[in-house]
Amino acid sequence: MRFFANTNFPFMAYRRLWLGISATFVLASVVSMVWGPGLKLGVDFSGGTQLTLKFKQEPELGRVRRALESLKLGEVTIQRFDEPELHEFLVRVQNPGQEGDFSKDMVEALQREFQGGAATGLDLNNVGVDALRDALAAADPEGVGGSLESRRQHYQAQAAAVLQLRKELGIFVSSEALAKVQGVSPAVRAFLEREGRFGEFTVLAAEAVGPLVGKDLRNKAAQAVGFSLLGMLLYIAFRFHLPYGIGAVVALFHDVLVTLGALSVTQREINLPTVAALLTLVGYSVNDTVVIFDRIRERLKLERGKPLPEIMDRAINQTLSRTVITSGLTLLVVIALFLFGGDVINTFAFVLLVGIVVGTYSSIYVASPIALFFTQLATKRKARGRR
Amino acid sequence: MKKNLTWRWVLIGVVTAVGFFLMWPPQKKIHLGLDLKGGIHLVLKVNTDDALRAEVDSAMERVRQALAEKGFPPETLTRLEDNTGFSFRPAPNTDQQVLGKVLEEKAPDFKVTQGVTVVCRLEDHVVRGLRDMAVRQALETIRNRVDQFGVAEPVIQRQGDSDRIVVQLPGVDDPARVKELIRATAFLEIKPVVAVAETEEALLAQFGGKVPDDAQVVPGDRRDVTDRVTGRLYYLVKKASVVTGRDLRSARRSQDQFGQPAVSFTLTPEGGKKFGAYTGAHVGEQMAIILDNKVHSAPVIKSQITDSGIIEGNFTVQSAEDLALVLRAGALPASITYLEERTVGPSLGRDSIIRGVRSGLVGIALVMLFMLVYYKGAGINANVALLLNALLLLGAMAAFKATLTLPGIAGIILTVGMAVDANVLIFERIREELALGKTVRNAVDLGFSRALGTIIDSNLTTLIAALFLFQFGTGPIKGFAVTLSLGIIISMFTAVFVSRTLFELVLARKTGRGPQTLSI
Repeated sequence: MRFFANTNFPFMAYRRLWLGISATFVLASVVSMVWGPGLKLGVDFSGGTQLTLKFKQEPELGRVRRALESLKLGEVTIQRFDEPELHEFLVRVQNPGQEGDFSKDMVEALQREFQGGAATGLDLNNVGVDALRDALAAADPEGVGGSLESRRQHYQAQAAAVLQLRKELGIFVSSEALAKVQGVSPAVRAFLEREGRFGEFTVLAAEAVGPLVGKDLRNKAAQAVGFSLLGMLLYIAFRFHLPYGIGAVVALFHDVLVTLGALSVTQREINLPTVAALLTLVGYSVNDTVVIFDRIRERLKLERGKPLPEIMDRAINQTLSRTVITSGLTLLVVIALFLFGGDVINTFAFVLLVGIVVGTYSSIYVASPIALFFTQLATKRKARGRR
Repeated sequence: MKKNLTWRWVLIGVVTAVGFFLMWPPQKKIHLGLDLKGGIHLVLKVNTDDALRAEVDSAMERVRQALAEKGFPPETLTRLEDNTGFSFRPAPNTDQQVLGKVLEEKAPDFKVTQGVTVVCRLEDHVVRGLRDMAVRQALETIRNRVDQFGVAEPVIQRQGDSDRIVVQLPGVDDPARVKELIRATAFLEIKPVVAVAETEEALLAQFGGKVPDDAQVVPGDRRDVTDRVTGRLYYLVKKASVVTGRDLRSARRSQDQFGQPAVSFTLTPEGGKKFGAYTGAHVGEQMAIILDNKVHSAPVIKSQITDSGIIEGNFTVQSAEDLALVLRAGALPASITYLEERTVGPSLGRDSIIRGVRSGLVGIALVMLFMLVYYKGAGINANVALLLNALLLLGAMAAFKATLTLPGIAGIILTVGMAVDANVLIFERIREELALGKTVRNAVDLGFSRALGTIIDSNLTTLIAALFLFQFGTGPIKGFAVTLSLGIIISMFTAVFVSRTLFELVLARKTGRGPQTLSI
C-alpha cells in the first residue's frame, strides 16, 4: 500500500494565493486577540484562587456566585468542568493584589450558603481521614473501650475505607452510598448514617496563585518560549542558509499566532500546560519544516541549475507521503487525547490538534515560499551588484 | 557483517534488560506527580522582616535599659519603618561617653549616626545574615513538623537563595489542617501577670492610662468554670519571659482536670532551673501562658514547679495534638504567607490518570495498527522499536527520578510520534530507493544513511527546544520537558539502531536465497 506515490503537485505555483490566505488567518487571530474577546489567562498567569468542586446535584449557580461574591475577593468566575452529569465546576476568585490563600474562606462561604449557617457535625464529603478517625474514636460506636490511643488505632482502617469509597464515588450523595463500603462494621456504619452529614459538595482540587508567583510564572514561561525559539533559529541558520532560517521562523510565528487565535476565539484558558503544548507545536512544526528543507538541500546538490521553485516542488512531493503519514499518526493520538482524555488535558490536546494541522500546512505553504522569496531577493541583489 | 550483528544484539539485550530492571514494577519505580497522585503543593514566603523586627526590638530594649540604669532614660525611642534599625532622642543631660559605650556594648551590630536624634541601623551584611538565617530556621522547623506528621516522600526545599520555600506532600487528604500546621508560628512564652481587666482601658487606667515601660498588653479569652468562652480578658504582663518555647524539651497531648484535651510539656534542665527559681519565689501569683501573642491560660502558681507544665484552653483532641506537635518541632522564626497552593484530591488525580493513559493507549494502538497495515513486515520492526522505546523511557524516568505528570504523559505520547516519524522517514526512503531499481541491500543501506541526517536535524531542533523548556520552565512545563528530552534521545536509539538491526536480521536470513524482495 502507498499513498501519494510519485505525486507532482505544483505547490509553488499557487504560493501567493496560500500566503494571502495565511496572512488573512494571522490577521484574524491578531484582531481576535487584541480587539476581540482576547486571550483568557488561567489561574497560573492571572493569579487568584480556584476550586474544583463536585456537587451532589446540579447546583443553582446564582447561589454559588452570591456566596463567593460575599467574600469581596474580586471577580468571580464559574464554569462547568467535564461532563454535565458529573456536576463539576471550576470556581475562581481573583483576589487582586493580595497574597495568601483564600480557599478555606471560599469553602466556608459555600458551606454557609448551601448548608445553612456554620458547618456542624461530621461532613463526610469534606472530612479528612485523621479527623474521621478521631471522631469515631471519640464516639466509639463499637464500644471497644480502652485508651483514646488504642481506639484511634482501632478505627483507623475503617476511616480509611470510608474515604477510599468517597475517592471512588467522587462524592457521597446520601447515606445510602455507605452501603457499598467494604470492611466497616455495622455499628460504625449506623453511627455514620446517624451522625454524618452529606454536604452538598466536595472539593476535588484547589489552586491558589498569588500575584508574586503569577508574575514569576509569566516571566519564566516567556523566557522559556523566547529562548527555545532563539535556540531553534540559531540551529537552522547554522545548518541551512539564512533565507531558510527566515522561512522557518516566519512559519513558526504563523503557527503560534493562528493557534493563539484559535484559543482566543474558543475562549479556552491559558495555563502552564497550555504553554508546554504551544512549545511542542513549535517543535513539531520546525521538525516538519526541517525534513522538507533537508530534501531541498539534497536536490539542490543533485540538480544544479534547475530553477528553485521546481526543486522545491519536487522536494515537497517526495516527502509528501512522509508528511501526511507522520502528521496523520500524531493527529490520531492527539484526537484520542482530545476526545477521551478528560477535561484536565483537553485544552492541551486542543492546542496540539490545531497546531499539528497548522504546522504541517505551514511547512509546505509558508516556510518554503518565504525561503524562496528571500533566496530570489538575494540573487537579484547580487546580480544588480555585478552590473 | 555477522560479527557486527552479534554486538548489536548484545547491546540491545543489555539495554532492554537494564530498562526493564529499572522500571519494574512500574507502580513502585515511577514517581507520579501530584496532579496524578493527589496531594498538596505549596509555595510559601518567610516574612523575614519579622526576624529583623525581633532583633531590633531586643537591641532597642537593651539600650533603653542600660541608659535608664545610668540615669539617662532616652526619649521617643522608635523602630525605623523598614525594620532595619531604631532611633531615639537621648535625654538632654546624657553623657556622650556613656552613650557611646552603651551603644557599643548593647548594639554592636548597628551602625550609629549621631545627631539631634541617634539613629542606629543594622549593618547590611547583618541584615542579609538575619534574613538568611530566618529562612533556614523556618525550613528546618517546617521539615520537623512535616516529619512528625508522617507523610511519605515529602519535598521541602528552599527556592534558590530566595525567601521562598516549596513544600510538596503527596497523598495528603486534609490540606486545610496541613496548611494550619505549617503556618502556626507556635511561639510559646510564659510571663508574669501584672494585672487583668475586661477592657484595655480599664486595664491601663490602673497605670495612669499608659503601658509601663517594662510591660505589654496581651489579650485572651475569658472562660467559666466549665471552660466555655464567655468573653475577652486583657492581661498586662512583664515583657521579660520566665521561659519560652526554646526551653521546651518535649510536649504531648494530655487531659486537664475536667478530662478536656490539653497539652502538657516538660522543660530542659536549664529551663527547669529558671522556672523552678521563679515559681518558688512567686507562689500565689498569676502567670500567663502566651502562644502567638494570645494568652491561652493564666494559672495561679500553687507551689514551686521545676520541669513540667500544662497548657489548658479550648482544645479538641486534634488541635491539642497539633499544638503539641508544633511545640515539639519548634517555633517559626518569622510568620509565613502562602504564595501558591495546589491541592489535587486523590479522586481527580485518579480519574485523570486513567483517562489520560487510556486515551494515550488507544492512540498508540491505532498507530501500531496503521504501521502494520501500511508497511507490512517492516511495520513489525517499527512496532518493536516503539514498544522498546516506551519501556526504555519508563526505565530512564525511574533512573533519573523524574516525576510523571499529566503533561508528562502527553510528552511520552509525542515522543512516540517522533519515534514513528523516524521510522516513517526511513521506510519512505527505502521505498523510494527500491522504486529507483536499487537492490534490497542497497535500498536499506541508502534509506538508513540518507534518512539519518534528516532525523538528526529534526530531533536536535526539538531537543534544543526541550532543553530550554527544562532550564526555564516550572512545574508541569519542566515535567513535560524531561519526558520529551529523554524520549527524543531514546527514540534515536530505538528507531535508528534497533530498527536497523531488525532489518539486518531479515536480510541475513534471506541472503542464501538472494534478497529479492522486502516486505515494506
